Amino acid sequence: MIIEERELVSDTVEEEASVEACTKCTACNTVCPVARSTEIFRGPKFLGPESERYRSQPEAAVTAGLDLCSGCKLCEVTCPSQVTIQEYIRRAQNKGAQEKGRTLRDWVLGHTRLLSRFGSLTAPLANFGNRNPLVRWLMEQVLGIHRKRPLPRYQWLTFERWFKRRPHPAQARRTVAYFYGCWVNYNERRLGEQLVAILERNDIDVIVPKQQCCGIPAVVNANMDLARKYGSENVRRLSGLPANVDIIASSTSCGLMLKHDYSHLLSIPGAEQVGARVYDICEYLWMLHEAGELNLEFEPVPTRLLYHAPCHLKSHGIGYPAMRLLRLIPGVQLEEVDEGCCGISGTFGVKVEKYDLSMKIGSRLFAAVKAAGSDAVLADCETCRMQVEHGAGARSAHPIDILARAYGHG
Amino acid sequence: MKFDVAVVGSGLTALVAARALQKSGRQPVLIWPGLSSLYFVYATIDVLGYADATSTEPVERPDDGVASLIARDPSHPYARAGLPALREGTALLLDWLREAGFRWQGSLGENYLLPTAIGTPKPSCLVPDSMAAGDLRRPDPIVLCGFQGYEDFSPELATSNLSRSWGGAGRSVRAIRVLLPGFEPGRLFTSIDVARALEDATLRREVASRIQQQVPEDGVRIGMPAVLGLTHDADVHQRFQDEVGHPVFEIPTLPPSVLGLRLFDRLRKHLQETGVEMIWAAPAHAAEVADGRCRRIVLKSAGREQPIDARAYVLALEDAVDGAMRAGVHAVLDPFFHQVLARSAVPTERTDESPFKPQPFAKVGYAVSDRLQPIGNDGRPLAGNVFVAGGSIAGYDPVAQKSRGGLAIATGYRAATEAMAA
Amino acid sequence: MPDSRTGVVVIGGGSTGAGVLRDLTMRGIDAMLLEKGDLASGTTGRSHGLLHSGGRYCVNDLAAAIECVEEGRILRRIARTTIEDTGGYFVSVSEADEAWEPRFVEGCGKSGITCERISVEEARRREPALSKQVRTVFWLPEDGHLDPFYLVMGNVESARRRGAQVRTYTEVTGFLKTGNRVTGVQTRDTMTGEQTTIACEAVINATGAWAGFVARLLDVEVKVVPVKGVMVVLSHRVAHATINRCHKPGDGDIIVPALSVAILGTTAVKVPHPEVLPIEWDEVRHMIEEGSLMADGVSTARAMRAYAGVRPLYDLGAEAEGREMSRNFAVIDHEQRDGIAGFTSIVGGKVTTYRLMAERVTDLVARRLGVTTACTTADVPLNDRDDDLDQLRHRPAQLGVPKPHGDDLSLQPMVCECELVRPQDVEPWFQDPAVRTLEDIRRRTRAGMGPCQAAVCSYRLAGRLITSRSLEGPAATRAMADFLETRWRGVRQVFWGSQLRQAQVTAGLHLELFNLDRQLMLEKEPAGTPEAVGAQR
Repeated sequence: MIIEERELVSDTVEEEASVEACTKCTACNTVCPVARSTEIFRGPKFLGPESERYRSQPEAAVTAGLDLCSGCKLCEVTCPSQVTIQEYIRRAQNKGAQEKGRTLRDWVLGHTRLLSRFGSLTAPLANFGNRNPLVRWLMEQVLGIHRKRPLPRYQWLTFERWFKRRPHPAQARRTVAYFYGCWVNYNERRLGEQLVAILERNDIDVIVPKQQCCGIPAVVNANMDLARKYGSENVRRLSGLPANVDIIASSTSCGLMLKHDYSHLLSIPGAEQVGARVYDICEYLWMLHEAGELNLEFEPVPTRLLYHAPCHLKSHGIGYPAMRLLRLIPGVQLEEVDEGCCGISGTFGVKVEKYDLSMKIGSRLFAAVKAAGSDAVLADCETCRMQVEHGAGARSAHPIDILARAYGHG
Repeated sequence: MKFDVAVVGSGLTALVAARALQKSGRQPVLIWPGLSSLYFVYATIDVLGYADATSTEPVERPDDGVASLIARDPSHPYARAGLPALREGTALLLDWLREAGFRWQGSLGENYLLPTAIGTPKPSCLVPDSMAAGDLRRPDPIVLCGFQGYEDFSPELATSNLSRSWGGAGRSVRAIRVLLPGFEPGRLFTSIDVARALEDATLRREVASRIQQQVPEDGVRIGMPAVLGLTHDADVHQRFQDEVGHPVFEIPTLPPSVLGLRLFDRLRKHLQETGVEMIWAAPAHAAEVADGRCRRIVLKSAGREQPIDARAYVLALEDAVDGAMRAGVHAVLDPFFHQVLARSAVPTERTDESPFKPQPFAKVGYAVSDRLQPIGNDGRPLAGNVFVAGGSIAGYDPVAQKSRGGLAIATGYRAATEAMAA
Repeated sequence: MPDSRTGVVVIGGGSTGAGVLRDLTMRGIDAMLLEKGDLASGTTGRSHGLLHSGGRYCVNDLAAAIECVEEGRILRRIARTTIEDTGGYFVSVSEADEAWEPRFVEGCGKSGITCERISVEEARRREPALSKQVRTVFWLPEDGHLDPFYLVMGNVESARRRGAQVRTYTEVTGFLKTGNRVTGVQTRDTMTGEQTTIACEAVINATGAWAGFVARLLDVEVKVVPVKGVMVVLSHRVAHATINRCHKPGDGDIIVPALSVAILGTTAVKVPHPEVLPIEWDEVRHMIEEGSLMADGVSTARAMRAYAGVRPLYDLGAEAEGREMSRNFAVIDHEQRDGIAGFTSIVGGKVTTYRLMAERVTDLVARRLGVTTACTTADVPLNDRDDDLDQLRHRPAQLGVPKPHGDDLSLQPMVCECELVRPQDVEPWFQDPAVRTLEDIRRRTRAGMGPCQAAVCSYRLAGRLITSRSLEGPAATRAMADFLETRWRGVRQVFWGSQLRQAQVTAGLHLELFNLDRQLMLEKEPAGTPEAVGAQR
């Protein structure tokens, strides 16, 4: 429901809290990937709007089972009444953690950036450890991270440091600020390099403001205070950018935090104005294309590709710009593979007690990917890519990898 | 973002419109503000169950029934859409269901008569194969099977009512319940859990055998809640039927609706597979009109409003339930052109004293031209390239006549056709 | 030859009648309660649920206020399981209100009501819902929510454990007399039409707003003026504590958080008959507007339904209007007043003081019967137990917080998901012969009282009517339809926004998917046949 200005018992009165709009249609339960895959999760309808009516009572605390919510937001995206189901679940989970205390794992996963920084600084060792069965066994015992879950490789040279050494283009039509996110910085610098190359090919100067983790690992691991702290820092820095500088993200989840959750979930002042300037990279490039500004000098890239739309991309409400973009490149054969959530949902599928469930959720996707056969599976979300590689044994890449190749930047 | 034709909606109306556009070579984009909350009503596609709100005789031939209706009431949405749109739309939908891998049956020439979860015969036009064996025009005795601990389907209630309204010489109805292995009473489980579990061959065979034990007689058919597999291609119904040794038919019951899930999941996916883009999570509002044409509508996306510029627009929302109109205390507003569609001094004016009779509120909606364009008070289209289908149309009341599916098809198809010419 | 016999017949199944039944049985007196509808389906079940600290009466009716203080303390002792001890605010939102404040403070002092003035900032910290118009705030810890259904059922169950009988849907149609002494009653089952006679030694008329009708059967006059009050229910609590307006008691100046909902109340309009309770739009609108003055969430909350109740104002002789008549009660000794022995009426009063009313009338009747046992209803908890575990009140806390005795509700099957009602919560009531409709189940378990207004649970409950009560399909379907119809009566009063959308979802389910409208048209058996009642006796 679009909330309009409140008037007293008048023509446009709307419920203020979206929880009030729930009509018990259970459409959310129908699409929830977790509810579809296990009986021990009651579903978004109950854990969201139904329980919410009781959470305001002094005795009521938190509903058990909240941790089984993977955070994919398909419930929100499906709800005909636009109930912000996820927000209620996260807040309740956060409140529960405040009262009962957080686990070590909650803390570690919430502080992904710290972990990644450490991993990056000790890269060879960290990467070895992450593949060593004994270390993984220990991690499972101490941190509750499933030993079978492949962990990302760390790179010693961060994107941030790489970028600092680069010269800026002599002239440019526009400037954009790149919110690279922890993944690009510590694990897949190449993606960031490609993004910069693509933008520079389009006469766009890229600047990289100092930034903090977007905070989504903290949100989904019951630490909204930490997320708010990160978010406030980011909003402060991004607000300081000149008005004509747009902000680009290459991770759908980082982008969603910046666009939406900073203001709606975390209520960070100034977040709305920042959010309005944030674009997903493919979204941005498509905008350029519609304005006639996209460099269309593509080399053919003959390749058979599958596209898996990340769940969080659906929450952006922009469709699938990556698919539109890639269809411009000669030689590209692109098909969507829509089998719902891949199952990993960020840190969800990493946890020892959630791993099997996450693989079950993604099983249809894995089967479809294997059956289709392709050169690679594209996904704008890094954890989706991890999951598809692990579950389907397929190569995966961010859509802009293809674009970069089309621009001759292999 | 620029598109060819924008279709706003999430129910059958929008899907039919999008498919019609696609088949004609246009590029629709489907703007999906969530799944229609009436998705569970589309277990079958009902074209015309009853000639009017009070008759209890099922319509035998929906096509004739609709034709009579159009002759009697030229302002009815069926009349606005036209019988050809219903015919062509239905043909389109049946083809589509086949292409997408469904097994459905039916035609505009006849109505099935299927028992509901309270045991009432209900006329339906297009039905999934997995429901067809329940047709009450056949005389074979029926055994309704529920599950221990599963309250979303009461075989006893359905049996008691059905045997009174349909039972007679040789047409017996009786109720049984089986215990599902792994789903004991006292354990929480939903239709979705059972549907998923029945995709496992071992469990399926065990359940079939338990039913068989309670149904030793020949010549009967078994009605069950709709839980035979989660996906359209899970093939559970066919195999289950073989294993039970009797014809089996599904009965739609309380949401979450597995039948609705199968239908909408697959149709949506099929559109995407065949190149139609979907924009999820974006309530559409605010049409910007200039020179008699809509230049853009605006979506509420993450972070900011997203303009959609299209050559034509099909507004195919189902109902007030999914935002086709916004009902304030006195005024009902249209979210696109911000007109007041209706005013009531007192909210009860919108209602009948009985919840089982047609409600005056159903009359509220866009007045439309004979091309399904929304028209203003002066009788002129608000925008030449906008077409309205589904529950937004004034006078759209599928409830009493059981005509929701047919109205969705007819208006969705017609609106799409008009949009192509816009 | 009477069909049955008891010691005392109590007519009226509201809080007073239930309290009398309990008091009688606790003094060892054999008793039977007759109610022409369901328990708590009259005034009590339609009250706004405010457990009165007395703050509303302390200026104009000191006696009533003092009663509230005393009875409130007693109820907190004996009926903990029916009370949400929320405390309450009295707020001023205008200059006129501010002029009332000194009298209010004085009145609280005189009646012994704990009343503490707190700063508006502090008040907002505790109660963020308080509106921007609030200027002054008083905190009265003795206000709260008294759930009328649990109160009545609690009293009745307490009495039944001591041998009392209860007959619902049983209307008294006449009396048996020997000379000028009442010796029994004639009854009619309002569902089946079956008639019986019950012999007894005394009759207590505890029918509240209907007291005059019952008295008339003996050609005796009891002048009770029915005064209607409209309430609007919001689908969530809005506030943590009750909120009253600090002014001369008027319309719409109460907000009561009641378990999972909030109740806005009320109006005061004389009506010709206690069952003629039309709900006017102006009343509904007024409740919302007045409520909005006190709390911010009100104007944007989802209105779930509106309903009307009736106050039984006993005309003590003055020409006072509606609210200004005394809320005090009176025991009418008809033997002294009218020369009819064996018949006593208890009239007036309010739910908060039900126990005291019951005590007074039971004292009189017991004395006449030669029973000298003193009243102990103030000392023994309703549930005859020492712990304070009440499943429903503690239900929200059971949502996943591990308790030594609580159950985690999140994985338990539910019949009514809106109100967290489980199969084991409803099933015992299906075994109770006093339960005859699904509304009766609703009153005892809260099933159907949530935002969806029985859209889903009505089907599940109808299924149980067949398996647990051996009803036949048509009767069970009729019961389901009646349930939906009663819910609809309240929903259509607030037919806008999300509740309008909800109603359409309900119609989609019942009318389109289930074809319930045609089922009702096809019905051959009317309700009211023996079949409708079920085999259970």
